[in-house]
Amino acid sequence: MKHVVLFTIDALRRDALGVYGNSRGLTPFLDSLTSDSLVFTQAHSVAPYTQASFPGILTSSYFFDTPRAPKLSLKRTIISEALKEAAGTQGITTAAFHSNPYLSAYFGYNRGWDSFYDSMQDEVDDISPYITGEAINERVDRWLDTVDTGRSLFLWVHYMDTHEPYVPDCQYIEQVDSSIQISKEEMLTLFKEVVLPRDAGNTETVQLLSKLYQAHISEVNTCAKQLFEILEKHKVLTDSTVIMTTDHGEEFGEHGGLSHDGKMYSELVHVPQLIINPPEGKGGRCNTLVSGLDLPPTILDLFGLEPHENFQGTSLFPLLEYQEKGVYGEAVGKLDHKIKDTDRPAYYYREGKWKVIYRQEEDRWELYDLENDPEEKVDRIDSAQEAQKTKEKLKPRIGREYL
Amino acid sequence: MPKIELSTDRVKELEEKIAKSKEVFGQAFEGFEVKDMRLIWSGGKDSTLTLWICRQYCQEKGIEFPKAFTIDEGDAFKEIDVFLHTYAKDWGVELYWGRNEDVLKAAGYTLDAEVQVSDLNQRNQTEIKRIGFDLEAFPFEAESYVGNHLMKTVVFNTYLEENKVKAVFQGLRWDEQKARAKDPYFEDVPAVELTPAHTRYRPILHFTERDVWDTTMYFEIPYCPLYRQGYRSLGAKTTSQKMAELPAWEQDLENTEERAGRRQDKEKTMERLRQLGYM
Repeated sequence: MKHVVLFTIDALRRDALGVYGNSRGLTPFLDSLTSDSLVFTQAHSVAPYTQASFPGILTSSYFFDTPRAPKLSLKRTIISEALKEAAGTQGITTAAFHSNPYLSAYFGYNRGWDSFYDSMQDEVDDISPYITGEAINERVDRWLDTVDTGRSLFLWVHYMDTHEPYVPDCQYIEQVDSSIQISKEEMLTLFKEVVLPRDAGNTETVQLLSKLYQAHISEVNTCAKQLFEILEKHKVLTDSTVIMTTDHGEEFGEHGGLSHDGKMYSELVHVPQLIINPPEGKGGRCNTLVSGLDLPPTILDLFGLEPHENFQGTSLFPLLEYQEKGVYGEAVGKLDHKIKDTDRPAYYYREGKWKVIYRQEEDRWELYDLENDPEEKVDRIDSAQEAQKTKEKLKPRIGREYL
Repeated sequence: MPKIELSTDRVKELEEKIAKSKEVFGQAFEGFEVKDMRLIWSGGKDSTLTLWICRQYCQEKGIEFPKAFTIDEGDAFKEIDVFLHTYAKDWGVELYWGRNEDVLKAAGYTLDAEVQVSDLNQRNQTEIKRIGFDLEAFPFEAESYVGNHLMKTVVFNTYLEENKVKAVFQGLRWDEQKARAKDPYFEDVPAVELTPAHTRYRPILHFTERDVWDTTMYFEIPYCPLYRQGYRSLGAKTTSQKMAELPAWEQDLENTEERAGRRQDKEKTMERLRQLGYM
C-alpha cells in the first residue's frame, strides 16, 4: 500500500457507531465507510486508558513491559521509528497530529516522526482542553500542502473531542436530544462534580452525561468526514489504507463508575476497529479476536516491510494466516481519576468467549462468559469449569509490574 | 566541520541579518559602558552565535569585549561544560560561572534529592515564597518550576545585583516559541523585589532556527557536538532529549518543535492532564 493512515479517536465506545449496531444515527459518515471497510467485531485494546493503551497501538508492547516512568522507554520502538529503520532509502514520510498530553513530546512519543504536532505549544481552555478535530484537520491539510505525496506517507491523527469534559456545541446536542438546555458552564460543573468523583449514583445525570458524550460522537463524525475530504483533495485517499480505532471506550455506570479507569470491562477494552480500503476483506466483517498490539506489525505489513523484532503483535493480514490467540490487557487498576502510589495493577485475559480479570489490590479474580453475558454482570469465577484454565493463562503475567 | 553550500542570495540574506544584529549591539554600546554589560552564554547554538557576532562587532569597532556569564543549574551536559571552557579560552572571553551553591549543597549535589526548604538560606527561602510555592520540600530538578526559579532566575538576579550589571545580551529568537513572537530587541526591566533594574538586549531575534544553522555552518562558528548527535535544543541534561539520530541541522526544522525535547513544559503538561480529568 502506498499510504497508511492511523486514525484514532480517544475514548470512543464501540457501541456508539452505527457500524456496531447503534441505531441513533450519530455516525452517518463513519457508517458509510462500511462497504469499503473490513470491520473487526472483536478488537481489544491492551488497556482501558490512554497512557497504558497507546504502548500497544504505537509500539506493539504492553504497559508493564518496562519500568513505570514518565517517558516512553527507549527499549520500545515506536512505529515511526520502525518505519524509518525498515524503509531506509525507500523513504516513508511520517507525521503525527494530536492533542493528548499523554502522547506528547514530554512523554517521549515524538521520537522518529518527520513531523510531530502535540498541541502543547498552543493555548486551550477548561471548556475544551485540547485542540479540536477540526483544528487538527487544518494542520493535516497544511502538512499535506508541504509534503511530497509522491512518496509514501504514514499519517497518525488522533482526535480528543470525545474525551471528557463533555462540553459539546449545541448544534451537536440538538442532534442527540433537542430538549436538552444546558450551558457550557453547567456542563463543566457536571464534569467536576459528577465525572471526576465518579458519582454514577443518579441515573438521570448519567443519562445526561451519556447524551453529551453522544453529541461529541456526532461532532467526531463530522470531523472524520472532513478529514477524508482533505485526504481526497490531496489525492492520497485512493492509495491509502486507513486504520480507524480507539485506545479505549468510556463507562456510563455499567460497572458503577464513569470515565475510563483501571477496569477491564468491555465498555472500556472491547473497541471499534475498521480498516478502510484494506488489502483484503473489503465490505466484510472479521470476528477474530485481535489486539491493539497487532496494529504496528499490520502497518509495517501494509507497506510491504518486514516485521520488527520489538513488536509483540502480528500482522492481521493475510486474514487466513492470522492465528487467533487470547488477548491480554494490563494497567494500573486505579478507580479514581488520579493514580495513587498505592494503586496496584489490574489485568485481563480473553480467549474465545471467556474473559478473566484480576485485580492485585483486592487479590480478586472475576470470570465472564461473554457470549451469554456480554455485559459482564454475572461473575462465574466460582462456578465455571473454565475458571481454573483461564486463570492459569493469566497468572504468568501477574506481578510483572516494576515498582 | 562540513562547509555548506549556500546560494549567493542566501549568504547575502544572512549577512544582512548579522548586520541587523550588529545594529542592536550598537544601540547597547551607546547606552551602557562595557563593564556594566554581560553576555549570557549557555553554550547553545543561539547564545554562541550572539557571542560570535558581538566579538566581530567589538573587533570592528576596536572596543573592549564584555564579560560573559553562564549558569550551572547542577544538571549540565559535560559536553557543554567542555565547549564553554574551550572557547572561552580560545576567544579570550572572561566567563563567569553562576550557581546556586546553597541549593546544590542542600540537595547533596544529587539530582532528584529532596530539598527541605528550611535548610536553605534566607534569600532562597524568600524567593520560594515569592513564587508562591508553599510546600516544605521539593525535588531537586533543574527544569521544574521551583528548580528553574532557584537555579536560574535567582542566580541570574543575584549575579546582576552583586556585579552591578546594567545590560545583558540574550540569544533569544522569535521563532523559538509561540509566546516569543512579540519580544522587542530591547526591554527595560524595572527593579522589583530581589531583581535589580537592567536592560535586556536580544540581538538575534530575527534569526530563525534554520538561519542559525546556516550561519553557523557557513561561517564555521563552533557548536557543541551534542547537536551533531541529534539534540535540537539543549537545557538541563536529564530533561533534554535527542529528537532523532540525525544532526540537528538535518532534521525537519520547519515542521517539528524545536524545544520538544525539553521538559520545561512539565507544568503545562500537568495542567492539561488536570483539565482532562487525569489529575
